[in-house]
Amino acid sequence: MKFAIALFAAPHQPAARRALRFAQAALADGHEIVRLFFYQDGVHSASSSVVSSQDELDLTAEWRTFVKAHNLDGVVCIAAALRRGVLDTDEATRYGRTAASIEAPWVLSGLGQLHEAVQEADRLICFGGP
Amino acid sequence: MSKSLLIISRQAPWSGPGARETLDIVLAGGAYDLPIGLLFLDDGVFQLFAEQAPKALQQKDLTANLQALPLFGIEALYCCAHSLGERGLGQTPLALPAELLDTSALQALLARYDQVITL
Amino acid sequence: MTTLHLLSHSPYGNDRLTSCLRLFGAEDGLLLSGDAVYALQPASAARKALASLPSGAGLYALAEDLQARNIQADDAVTAVDYSTFVALTLRYDKVNSWL
Repeated sequence: MKFAIALFAAPHQPAARRALRFAQAALADGHEIVRLFFYQDGVHSASSSVVSSQDELDLTAEWRTFVKAHNLDGVVCIAAALRRGVLDTDEATRYGRTAASIEAPWVLSGLGQLHEAVQEADRLICFGGP
Repeated sequence: MSKSLLIISRQAPWSGPGARETLDIVLAGGAYDLPIGLLFLDDGVFQLFAEQAPKALQQKDLTANLQALPLFGIEALYCCAHSLGERGLGQTPLALPAELLDTSALQALLARYDQVITL
Repeated sequence: MTTLHLLSHSPYGNDRLTSCLRLFGAEDGLLLSGDAVYALQPASAARKALASLPSGAGLYALAEDLQARNIQADDAVTAVDYSTFVALTLRYDKVNSWL
């Protein structure tokens, strides 16, 4: 079956880890993930600027590795990301900011990508909050 | 045929970007001509309170965006009657023509949509 | 169509559980994760509220969250791992996460 997975939680929130474990289990069980869509505070979970201490789970790195390893479509909502200071190099240049924290495999795009994923998937699963 | 999507908006309007970002999902769906429903539940019903003055908080007026919903083809607007009554808004005119739903109507509404997002 | 409801907030201090029970259909399921598993503490106010679920309702909890919090859920609750979580989302027609 095809899943669309939406994440609304920052990486320090348990929901960000729960979403990753769900996504891993879905693939392990032979399902397909048509798209990951990170919205609201979920945009922070795609940020390469997060630094975890060595004895803590590095969730943004785990997400990045997972998306790369399975060649998944990882989309971060551009409006939600800009509002939270999470930019890629194009946006950083456009708005004259010094820091970019969204890089491959993640891409910034619009909410239409969420709707498209909902249409394509058998199930939409949202993770957020604690 | 397109899958229908019910958005349940539970956030008060001036408590952060939550209510606006929920509405943005609805408007984006409307722009793609998708069958979208919008239900105001819990503190989300405060979005429907008339004549609010968010300028006092230097906020953009969400109500103006809400009133644009029909222009985006979003006409399936619902509001939880219990949430309104609990908050003293049972007899208040609403800023939008949302249909008031009791408990059994809420259950029926959720049951008939293909997918759902609650924020 | 049936719905699997997901709750991850504590049952105390917010409306989510109450509103979830209001929208809950006769054949729906409820999966508790995160702090929502505190609702399964025997004799708690939230566990009593869950007793009002329809008789056809499935009641599930993420095993890791029960274990982490030392919640001993009663026999009415099915503890699930992530693989079963995935399967549950397919057993119901849609998933409603109370974010």
